[in-house]
Parts: sequence; structure tokens; C-alpha cells
Amino acid sequence: MNAHVQPQLTQAETALIDAFGERQSLLPGDGEVMVRRDNAVEALKAGLPTKRIESWHYTNLRTLLPAVPGFDASANAKAIAPVIEGSTVVSVLNGASTTKFPTVEGVSFARLSDKLTDGSFAPALDLYGADDAIGALNTAFVADGVFVDIADGIELEKPIELQNVQAGGQSHVRLPVRVGKGAKATIVEHQTGEGAALTSSISQLTLDEGAEVTWLIVQEQPETASHLAQFKAWLGKDAKLTLFFINAGGKLVRQEVVVATKGEGADFKLRGVNLLAGDTHTDVTMVLDHAVPHTTSTEVIRNVVTGKARGVFQGRINVHQYAQKTDAKMACNTLLLSDDGEFSTKPELEIFADDVQCGHGATVTEIDHGHLFYLMARGIDEKTARGLLVKAFVAEVIEELEDEQIVETLEGKLDDWFATHG
Amino acid sequence: MPAVQETIDRVRKIDVDQYKYGFETTIETDKAPKGLSEDIIRFISEKKNEPEWMLEWRLEAYRRWLTLEEPTWARVEYPKIDFQDLHYYAAPKNQSGPRSLDEVDPELLKVYEKLGIPLKEQEILAGVQKEKAPIDGLSDEDASDNVYKSGRVAVDAVFDSVSVVTTFKEELAKAGVIFCSISEAIREHPELVKKYLGSVVPTSDNFYATLNSAVFTDGSFVFVPKGVRCPMELSTYFRINEKNTGQFERTLIIAEEGAYVSYLEGCTAPQRDENQLHAAVVELVALDDAEIKYSTVQNWYPGDAQGKGGIYNFVTKRGDCRGHRSKISWTQVETGSAITWKYPSCILRGDESQGNFYSIAVSNGYQQIDSGTKMIHLGKNTRSRIISKGIAAGFSQNTYRGQVSAHRKATNARNFTNCDSLLIGDQCGAHTVPYMEAKNSTAKFEHEATTSKISEDQKFYVMQRGIPEEEAIALIVNGFVKDVIQELPMEFAVEAQKLIGISLEGSVG
Repeated sequence: MNAHVQPQLTQAETALIDAFGERQSLLPGDGEVMVRRDNAVEALKAGLPTKRIESWHYTNLRTLLPAVPGFDASANAKAIAPVIEGSTVVSVLNGASTTKFPTVEGVSFARLSDKLTDGSFAPALDLYGADDAIGALNTAFVADGVFVDIADGIELEKPIELQNVQAGGQSHVRLPVRVGKGAKATIVEHQTGEGAALTSSISQLTLDEGAEVTWLIVQEQPETASHLAQFKAWLGKDAKLTLFFINAGGKLVRQEVVVATKGEGADFKLRGVNLLAGDTHTDVTMVLDHAVPHTTSTEVIRNVVTGKARGVFQGRINVHQYAQKTDAKMACNTLLLSDDGEFSTKPELEIFADDVQCGHGATVTEIDHGHLFYLMARGIDEKTARGLLVKAFVAEVIEELEDEQIVETLEGKLDDWFATHG
Repeated sequence: MPAVQETIDRVRKIDVDQYKYGFETTIETDKAPKGLSEDIIRFISEKKNEPEWMLEWRLEAYRRWLTLEEPTWARVEYPKIDFQDLHYYAAPKNQSGPRSLDEVDPELLKVYEKLGIPLKEQEILAGVQKEKAPIDGLSDEDASDNVYKSGRVAVDAVFDSVSVVTTFKEELAKAGVIFCSISEAIREHPELVKKYLGSVVPTSDNFYATLNSAVFTDGSFVFVPKGVRCPMELSTYFRINEKNTGQFERTLIIAEEGAYVSYLEGCTAPQRDENQLHAAVVELVALDDAEIKYSTVQNWYPGDAQGKGGIYNFVTKRGDCRGHRSKISWTQVETGSAITWKYPSCILRGDESQGNFYSIAVSNGYQQIDSGTKMIHLGKNTRSRIISKGIAAGFSQNTYRGQVSAHRKATNARNFTNCDSLLIGDQCGAHTVPYMEAKNSTAKFEHEATTSKISEDQKFYVMQRGIPEEEAIALIVNGFVKDVIQELPMEFAVEAQKLIGISLEGSVG
């Protein structure tokens, strides 16, 4: 049972390794970039992670991703309307960044392919651990993406939307963003498309001292697509990051959130909603490092599981030895509405400092019968009452975002989802 | 903060270099040669006068063990164990099953006397009589109600590889209860052993359980027949004495329909520089309406202040709530061992069955604890509760690892989990790794965990009600472990308190 057997490579693994051989010469960057691509492919040759790898315990990629679509140059994805009206849109279509960047004062955009070609992006391609399978897959194949730099002190009025639209085939994209000292911005990461695509997308966000960012991930892949995503952030002194994600689609979704507080006074807030339906698998895995003293974080995840959907939330808070006075709280609440659905959660605390406050809570339940009775006693039929309660359960998290336009937009997304899956 | 200081002092008292059971006794022993092979297993089986089927069972486990690899997923680090460098059997000489206490080697009796374990029947457990001070949270009346009326405890004493003596056997037999060493049970009650042994922890279960199945030497066997409420507390006291030995005990407890039994387990070992291995398997079976309460005060030698020596405690404990409305409770107080790797679990198979896990794990020095539980909900309307309190001090690492799962057909499964950790000092670590898996929409799981030192808020809350600071802190620390202490049988609560004494003094005055 504990014996290590090197299994034969699956169709997906072989296809990926072969694809690398074929595409190697087409990929931008050599030297340091190529070294990292080669290492990444070596990692892939060891096979995709199985449940034996602790961080993939509930998402056995080997069985969940048995085959992958080929690269399809003819795929035709078009830019779409932004999630929030009036946003500055920068799109990546079929894995290629636009060449026409909008003009925003204090913000510079660049194609990632240029940064790969000149090698300056190479250090940012490093994996964050031996189990970083998404990092390895992406590093091997990443061809383009958008680099955004927001200058010190700039306060953006309009959100910037980074769109990643994929119509079938395969794409591997990076979205690195640097936010300068004291700058303020709202950034929307919109992941969508059509067909049976495989996308990997890695966002890398660096917040300098005192920067404040609200980052929204809106994931609406079709129920045929596999979506492997990573959000990595480094928070400088007194920086504030509010990360909100909504997963409302995708056949196989893994969203990793890897955040480290690097400066004292940094604050991280994570709010997330998983709306799961159909025969799908959605995994949100967070690793949060409190590396310095006096940093705070709160995480609230709400999940609604219907149909045959399987959901996973793994959250690990690491408090390093010298990170005294850390205040970290995490909650994960799930409404399991179907007997065919399932939800697994693993909220971990790993603590090496003694003067800290850390807590986590997790619940899995169905709709409270008392609440249901309350509404029905007031003449509301059961279906409507259930709908109201489920919506209230997730809307609570959205309302914390405060910005009226964002809240309304996201509630609109909720209504859309309930209209089709309620 | 005097009360906090008191807690720290208390924890220090049970610190590794304060280990008071570390004495060694020179007793002539019969040992198997070092190493593990089929011949050694035949040797053990022969020594125990075992029937052929038992030997076959062991050999099969051994062959399977050879194909397994040591698990590495727990958060514990230790040098690789050389399984060929151990004696798998060590027994005090002239101990071919004494019939009465008079036949027992007086040296052995002295050991138990020193440990405070009553081997003489009719003797009241020292702790109960002497400790008149009420346990916190229990009034005097409650306490006296809780003490078993006669104050008697039946003891099975296991010394290295063999059971030395089992007390109150005859009286228990009158009630129909079988309480004896497992070796004796294999000889005297083969039909029961055959039926239940390995039915909860199969020989193929995990690396250490499989090893245990191959080489287990002794342990206790309890059988409580239908409708019988066991007339006294049962208890087994394990002692490792011999050098370079591993202790592999096997305990099997069966409660038939409507039966009740409360069982206590204690353990100590001498102070030595080498690490010693202890890999036990405990199986509990509860049929319809039966209840088993299993309590452990684990106090193996934890190694010295530099982390040298100590027991490696790799234990597989599992209870099977096989019948409807059956109930199994695990209560453990973990203070010893260099490394603890232990997850007492409940399989809630019967409808409306119930599993509980209460644990206090105190680690100090360089101790490493990776402990927790599994609650597997299979039947309908099953309930489980997990209360785990970890206290880490010194350079120790204290991990709670637990799993709660509800299967497709386990409608209305309920779980409440609470695991709290307290850190004393900034060189230690506390970790929580809970797994929750719900596959049924009617499941209701709640989990909460905290890690902290005493918060100013809590202190303020108590103090603004007119309680002075020192008492306030004592009250909070005391409350931290109370949930678990309360679950221990009275006799053990006393011992556990002496062992941990986390500021309890401060609160009782």
C-alpha cells in the first residue's frame, strides 16, 4: 500500500510531454527561461499529481485530467464586454495578448512574450514548491500574457479588466501586476471561453508599501473546460489586498491562492464564492504565509453544491516563528444541496509563534429548516424560500466588498447562475 | 502573570528531564535473539503455546509487512528505525503464567508498587483515597458518585512482552466478563478471538499495524457478554523494561448487545538513551446498544532535555460501532513518548451510533506529537464529537490531524469538532490538519480550531466580573483542558491531573 510504483504515463501526460518537444522552438525566451522550462517539463515527466501528494489529496489530477486537447492555432476567441461597466479592458485571446494597449495615466502595459524573449521574466517563473504542478505546466508552455505596472501614488478611478478568453485548444498565460507605493487599484481577472479547452493562468501580484488593491477573479468557463489557475501575491509594508473570487463554471477547476505577507502591517482579505453544479470538480487551495510580525488576514469562503458537483477547499495558514502578533481567521461554509454532490475541506493551521491569534471554522450543512419554516410560514413557497436562503448565504460575502457597482454586478452574476441552476 | 507562570511551571514539571518513572529494574529475562524473521515469529508463537491458525495469521501478516513501506506523511522526524536491531520478545524469567500473586517475582511486584499500580485485589487505588481535593468542576457529591462504589479496579499488568498478572479475574468471571491477557484468550477462547481479532484493524491496515499483527506478544482481552454492565473498571498497565526491545501489544475489547465497559490504559518506561519502539494495536467492537469507554494516560519516557532517547509510540487504535445505538468514547491524555503517532478512530457503522474523542496532548522538550482521530460515518443518524486540546512547550511540535467523513448513505450524520492549541514559548509549533468530507446533503459538520495564548479579551471579560487577574487566568487555563479531564473515569482523572496539573491548583484554591 505504501509501495512506490512508477506508473505508466497517462494519455494527458504523454501528450503534454510530446507537445513540449514540438513547440519548444516556438516558445519565446531562451537561456534562463529555457532552463526553467526544461526543469518544468522534467517535473511533468514524473506524472501529474495524484492524491498521494498531500496538497492534491482531493484533486487527483491524473484521473481528473486523463486527456488534454491539442494546441489549436485556429481557435477563434473574441474579446467580450467587461464584467464591470466602464472598465479598462486588456485581453488575452487564445493565449495571445493584444498588441493595442489602452492609455491610462500612470499605468504601463507590456506583452509578456517580450519579457520572456528578453529573459527579464525568468526569475518569476520559479516554482513555489515540489507540488506546484500548475506552476510547472504553465512554466513549460507559457507563451504570452500581460504585464501591468501601476506607478507609485496612482489612484485608478476605473477598474482594469484582464480578460483571458479561450475557445477550445490549450493556452498557458501569465498576468503579472506590480502596484507601486501608495497606489490604489481595482483589478478584475475574467476567465472565460467556450469549448473543451485547457487553460492554465497564473497571476502574480506585488504590492509595494501602502498599496491597496481589490482583485476580483470571475471564473465562468463552460462546463466542458479544464481551468488550472494560480493567484500569487506578495504584500509589502502596510499593503492591503482584498481578493474576491467567484467560481461559476468549468468541468475541472483548481484555483490556487498563494499569498505571503512580507512587510509589517500588511492585511489580506479573501472572500470567495463557489457555485458548483453539474458533474464538475472545483478545488480552491490557499496557502497563506504570515512571514513577519503584525500582519492580519481573514478568509471567508462560501460554497453551494448542487447536482453531482464535487467541491474542495484547502486552506493553510502558516505563521512563521518571528511572525508574532499575527491575527488570522478563516471560515469555510458549505451548503450541500444534493445527495450526489460532495464537499471536502481541510483548513490547516501551522503555527510556530506563540503570541498570535489564529482560528478557523468550517461547516457543511443543508439549508436550515428553521429558516425555511420562517419564510414558508409567511406564505412563500418552498422553492422560492430555498432560493432566497441560498442566495442570502452567498450574497453575504459579496456585500462585504462595499463598492456598490461591484456588489451589484456580482449579484447579477449570482442571479444568472441561479436562473440556470436554481 | 503568576498563574500563567504556574502553568509553565507545571508543564515544566512534566518536562522530559523530570520523568519520574525512569527507573530501571534488573529482572532476569528470557529474550528472543535480535532481529525479525519467520523463525522469530515461530519462536514467539511457540513461547505463547499458540494454536496453528494463530501462527499462520502472524506469518501472513509478516509476509505482507515485507511489502510495505514506512509511512512518512505525519509531521514527525526521526532517524530510520532498524527493525532488525530489536528484540521482539522479552519476558521475565519463570513467568510461565503465575496463577496467583504469591507466585509473581517479588522484584516485579516492587516495580508496580513503585509505579503506584495496585496488583493486590481489594486494594483501593491510592489516588482515589488520598486525593480528597475535589476535581475541578465536580462538587464533592458528584465526585463521590463518580468514584466506582467499591473503588476497585481490575488490573492486567503487562511487563515487556508478557502479561504478569490479571487481578479480579474470578469476580469478573462471576458476572460473565472475560478479562485476561490476549495470549490466554487465544488459548482459552479461540472462537471469540478468531471471530473478532483483525476485524476492526485488518492485518493489512498499515505498516505498524501489520508489523504488530506479525509479532504482537501480549495485551489485554475483554469480553463483556450481552446485557452485562462490567462491575468494575478494567485497566491494563504497560511497562517496557528491557533494553533494545520493542513492545507490541494487542488489545481486543468486545461489548455484546447492551453491555458496558470502561477500560483504562497506562504506560511507562525507563530512562534510556536509545529510542525504543512501541507499536500497539487496539480494537474495540461494540454491538447493539453497547458502550465502550476507553481511556489512556500515556506516559512513556519522552527522551531527555536534548531530545535523546525516548519511546517511539506508533499506535493504531480503532473502535467499530458495529451495532445500532452503540457508543465508543476515546479519552486520552498524552504527555510521554519522544514521538507519538496515534489516531484513535471510530467507525460509526450502526444506525444512531455515537463516537467521541477527547484528547489532551502536552508536548515538551523535543517531543513530537502527531495525533488525532477519524470519525467515519456510515450508518444513519450517527453522531460524533471531537474535543482536542494541544499544549506545546519547549522545542516540541504538536499536531492535530483528524478526519470526519460522511458517506453517501449516512443520512443525518452530525459532527462537532473543536481543537484548540496553546503555545508556551516561541520555539515550539502547533498545527491543525482537519479533513472534512461530506457526501450527503443531510450531514451537518462543524469544525472550529484556535491557536493562541490567553487573550486579553477573555481575561477582561472575567476580570470585569470582579475576579482578580490571577484567578481569571487560572480559570481560563483550567477551562482549556476541562472538557477532556471531565471525560476521564474518576480514578484516572486524579492521575491525569497529577500528571498535567495545568494550573488546576490555581483554580481550586
